[in-house]
Amino acid sequence: MQKNVLALVSLVLCIWVLNVSAQTKSTEKKEFKFGKVLPTEFNAKATGKDSSAAAIKLFDVGNCYFDISPTSGGFIYVFERHIRYKILNKNGYDLANFKIELYKSSNSSKEDLNYMDAATYNMVDGKMVTSKLNKDAKFTEEFNKNYVFKKFALPNVKEGSIIEFKYKIKSDFIFTLRGWRFQTDIPTLYSEYNVSIPEYLSYKTDLSGYYAITHTLHQSESATYVNGVASNAMHDQYTAENVPALKDEAFITTLDDYIPKITFELQATRFPNQMHQDYTGTWPKIITSLSTDENFGAFINKSGYAKAVLPEILKGEKDTLACIKLIYNYVKNNIKWNDDYSKYATVTNPKAVFDKKTGSSADINLSLLSLLKEAKIPAYPVLISTRDNGAHPGYPIISKFDNVIAISMVGNKTYFMDATDKDLPLGMVDYENLSHQGFYVDLKNIAGNWISTEPEYAREKIFNYNLTLDKENKLTGQISQYAKGYAALGLRNSYRKTNNETEFLKNFKKDKTGLELSNYKIEHLDELDEILTESMSVVIEDNVEEAGNLVYFNPLLYEKTKENIFKYEERKFPVDFAHPIKESYRITLKFPEDYEIDKLPKSAAYKLPDDNGTFTITYLTEGKMLMVKSTININKSLYSPEEYFDLKALFNTIVEKQAEQIVFKKKV
Amino acid sequence: MKNLLSLFLLVSFFYTTSAQGIYDVAKIPENLKKDAIAVVRNEEQFFDIKSIGSAQYEYKIAITVLNKAGDDLAEMAEVYDNFSNISNIKAAMYDAAGKKIRDYKSSDIRDQLASDGFSLFQDNRVKLLKFISNSYPYTIEYSFTQNFNGLLNLPSWRAIKGFDISVEQSAYTIQKNKFYQLRYLTSTDLKTDSVTIGDKVKYSWKSNNVQAVTREPMAVGVDNISAWVKASPNEFEFDNTTGNFNNWKNFGAWIYKLNEGGNRLPDVTRALLQKLVKDAKTPKEKIQILYNYLQQNTRYVSVQLGVGGFRPILAEKVAQVNYGDCKALSNYMKALLNEVGISSNLIVIGNGMPSLNQNYSSIGQANHMILCVPLPKDTTYLECTSQYKPMGFIGYDNADRNVLMITDAGGKIVHTPAYSAKDNYQIRKTKINFSEDGIADISIKSLYGNAQFEDNFTMLLKEPIEQRKILIERNDIPGAELTTFKYEQVNRNLPVMTEEINLKSNQILTKGGDRFFLMLNQVNRKESIPPKVENRKTYFAVPFSYTDEDEITYALPNGFKVEFIPKDIAINSEFGSYTAKFTSKDNIIVYTRTQMMNDKKYPPEKYNEYVDFYKKIYQADKQKAVLAKAP
Repeated sequence: MQKNVLALVSLVLCIWVLNVSAQTKSTEKKEFKFGKVLPTEFNAKATGKDSSAAAIKLFDVGNCYFDISPTSGGFIYVFERHIRYKILNKNGYDLANFKIELYKSSNSSKEDLNYMDAATYNMVDGKMVTSKLNKDAKFTEEFNKNYVFKKFALPNVKEGSIIEFKYKIKSDFIFTLRGWRFQTDIPTLYSEYNVSIPEYLSYKTDLSGYYAITHTLHQSESATYVNGVASNAMHDQYTAENVPALKDEAFITTLDDYIPKITFELQATRFPNQMHQDYTGTWPKIITSLSTDENFGAFINKSGYAKAVLPEILKGEKDTLACIKLIYNYVKNNIKWNDDYSKYATVTNPKAVFDKKTGSSADINLSLLSLLKEAKIPAYPVLISTRDNGAHPGYPIISKFDNVIAISMVGNKTYFMDATDKDLPLGMVDYENLSHQGFYVDLKNIAGNWISTEPEYAREKIFNYNLTLDKENKLTGQISQYAKGYAALGLRNSYRKTNNETEFLKNFKKDKTGLELSNYKIEHLDELDEILTESMSVVIEDNVEEAGNLVYFNPLLYEKTKENIFKYEERKFPVDFAHPIKESYRITLKFPEDYEIDKLPKSAAYKLPDDNGTFTITYLTEGKMLMVKSTININKSLYSPEEYFDLKALFNTIVEKQAEQIVFKKKV
Repeated sequence: MKNLLSLFLLVSFFYTTSAQGIYDVAKIPENLKKDAIAVVRNEEQFFDIKSIGSAQYEYKIAITVLNKAGDDLAEMAEVYDNFSNISNIKAAMYDAAGKKIRDYKSSDIRDQLASDGFSLFQDNRVKLLKFISNSYPYTIEYSFTQNFNGLLNLPSWRAIKGFDISVEQSAYTIQKNKFYQLRYLTSTDLKTDSVTIGDKVKYSWKSNNVQAVTREPMAVGVDNISAWVKASPNEFEFDNTTGNFNNWKNFGAWIYKLNEGGNRLPDVTRALLQKLVKDAKTPKEKIQILYNYLQQNTRYVSVQLGVGGFRPILAEKVAQVNYGDCKALSNYMKALLNEVGISSNLIVIGNGMPSLNQNYSSIGQANHMILCVPLPKDTTYLECTSQYKPMGFIGYDNADRNVLMITDAGGKIVHTPAYSAKDNYQIRKTKINFSEDGIADISIKSLYGNAQFEDNFTMLLKEPIEQRKILIERNDIPGAELTTFKYEQVNRNLPVMTEEINLKSNQILTKGGDRFFLMLNQVNRKESIPPKVENRKTYFAVPFSYTDEDEITYALPNGFKVEFIPKDIAINSEFGSYTAKFTSKDNIIVYTRTQMMNDKKYPPEKYNEYVDFYKKIYQADKQKAVLAKAP
């Protein structure tokens, strides 16, 4: 387990170091003035793989610096951005509709768009014609009580136009500053972000992604915030040049994990004549603040509800593991998840959550922890950054987590708990939380550590076909199917989400042409620790074919891997399945007396290096019985881009071998 | 006295039972639970028209969700805009016994923008509340008041909310002053109760005890099995305009009036246009030149605000900014044509919607505007929002339907041209040549016309890197590696495009002992059959009519002989026709396939015949030849 996490970390680092060592270019001072478009900019062309791009980002320059709010007297930050695009074809027209999102909180803190200018430039008969943004092309939308959208539509946009936007936002929210993304879905010639932080503040910066960003400047400059008080600011500049367009790939966490970007979170303030105040800084600090937070540690400590219900839940049970199960089930059965992820409870007391019978992931899992605590069972929160939220950078930064689950140790075994889904058995981590690691927090001893969340479960399916072939080419018999781990979770979910069994079987039959079934039985739907089992009697038509005196069919029937899931010739990002995958299929077939098997396909076994994946297929006959067995094992949850080609080759073999037909000759 | 007393008792009896749980699940009749994910326990729509331009709407609904599949119905999502507001929202949840377990507060209700997904800016907003319950069944209930300031349309009503949902009772009442004029349409056999009290008139409709209908494939909706009402005002006031919708003529007159004076163009543009068309000889040529000019110089940007949702932006303004929505761009194109002496008419159309009802005019039947250029013997329709469509090609969603032509004499219903199965063709020639080692060179050349052109058109606009991705993703020839490909629209003015794909594969022949199987249709198979439905209730439709023609020529590797080749197949039905022919000579196999389908709405009882027809095609498409190595 631990080994896997290390492997992941070194994989990411490896790529990053590579990027750093690739930074050699020196930079010259670049000037960008609104409205000052050089004729050469009209000649900008996309090259190489991006040669047919819809547009090019000529430059994207941002400045972030601080100012004093005239109303509150405190620091605010100013964000300026200046972007210029060349539109290459009509697919790029949407860039001329620009949207800015502004945040406001329930109190008076807010963000304002302070300045906005935009224009379109066209080359007409060798002369540049400027079209300014019209007043009536500016719109303000109140999206909801927290977000306001400002929207702009530029005039006279054509193929070959250059368009430009420049704006300034003032923000009261200095805890996290606006970050910067250096890559987008069109090629970028130049991207630059400048951040000037007053000496009174310090920020944690996080650089991540799969393309090199250069740290071009790090120098102290004088900056005056309060009249008559001389002070300094640290100016950092980050740039990237000639960045290709970013393209999506399958089997990744979120594309955002691969975009080169920088983010900022407040670490400390040290104002003159004031105590140095640390906001995040170290894990102990983070854990201390969590331990007293009314939506976290203090929430868990509120024991009133637990005291009231525990006797009824435990009914004198003494065994720790049994107690954990009872409490876990109680929470799962009494609160329904509202589909929101959060790391802080939305209320301050478990009772409020149980009263509402619904809540966010933190409401639910921190309530669970509150009950476990009152039952004297050692259990701990595990902070998670979900797959959608992107990888956590690893160093002490709380804002990069978006979820919390729980963990408990019984004997020397650890059990993850996430009560947001009734069908998650004790110990299983839901797909969205499978981001390889989580941060375990011991609130009492103010301690914590990264732990692996690599699943001990795979997505596992076992198919068992037991059929008899008759002379009308009909197959009759039994099918049993077994689902474990993530396959069982998925099947339970789809079974419950369907109106009734009739509808469920309709869907089951949808892609299984020729299948008629009866006596369908599903077992262990509610026994989460048992193997989810389906069995049915079947009659299969339309799958055995005839050609002259030959009768043939594909023995994999409905479970044939029809196509390679890895079709592309290249891979940039790791293949992240989240969990291992196992699939095994067995068919036992009795065929008519006067049929002879012409010649059986060859049995075979394939293995990836280090046992990272295997495929075997075997054929056996005895008298008028045929047995075919096929097994696929994808043993890791994460494969490097290099290993992609191994997976691709393995699946090519699977598709080819599983397509082979069994041929019978009829005796004449 | 005695009678009065018993009446009193009766009333109090009802009162107490209702307090104990009118939404008790045990009270739902068994037949309404059958096949249902949810039951509409009670729905009451009351629309009170106060004046020509104002109304108050009272809405109340209670739904019992029977299982997890019905969770999506446990939601309030009510849309309003600058001309209406929603107030007095009450919401509650009840358990299976009908006991109230929660009242929702106004802080539980979200208020946010209701995005239509394509507009840059519009004024629709939505009040949102998601009800969440941990146990089933449960009942949700909510009610609200909506006040309208300006009335273009009256709420419609349909008792059945969708498949798998039954209805205990649902009712709609419209109240109006007796002088207020409106028209309504109802489902067949729905009884309208009309009551006049003083100067108020009330129309009421109701529907009780309707069983759930299980979801049916290819359904065109539940209108033929549900009670429904559509209603529209005659005279109306909205956002400082007035008009009369009593017939399409007057409807058109209102649009015409909104548009008045919007035809002027700046002098610069006028001069430019004259220059552009100076060498054009026929009106058709002029239209072509101006349509190209429109496509090269404008883009689609949608802004919908109040009556601006119906009134085009002035042509003069579009000339300045070179963007607009369907109305602005159609009107601009009209102004361009007008400048060179060609008159044209705006067309109000339901894009992707049913035809306008000739006998019932109302605003909700259309969502789009195009332009019609009537020429003697050759009327051309122009879709002005597309920067790519060939002139006169309006696309499948605009074709073959009743639309409203706006003229100076008001509106007039006309019918747009249709694209027949023959027009919507895909002609594909495939060559598969095997080399000695069994590797096949595959070359696929396809020609797409009209609706099938439209279907594949976006490929023309994509970057090669994207085209490649999509082709690799779409390909279902086993083991195929894509080598080269090309998309082309040879003549920009015709809705025809070509596609050339070259692949290599070593998995076309599948092994079976010593023999090889060759699936003869490698490029255009029907891979599944729609499921049969017993006692189907709703109509079904084939989404569009088309013709596919395929020819595949296989050159087999040396040393192979054809041991078996399937017999020719022909299938005919009212849904379409299909043929497959197989010939083999020496080491060449030629496979030809044609499929023609008619887009039509079919009655429920025809469905299983359709499935049989489709099944035959499925079987025919997977015919295989058997090859053996020559001794």
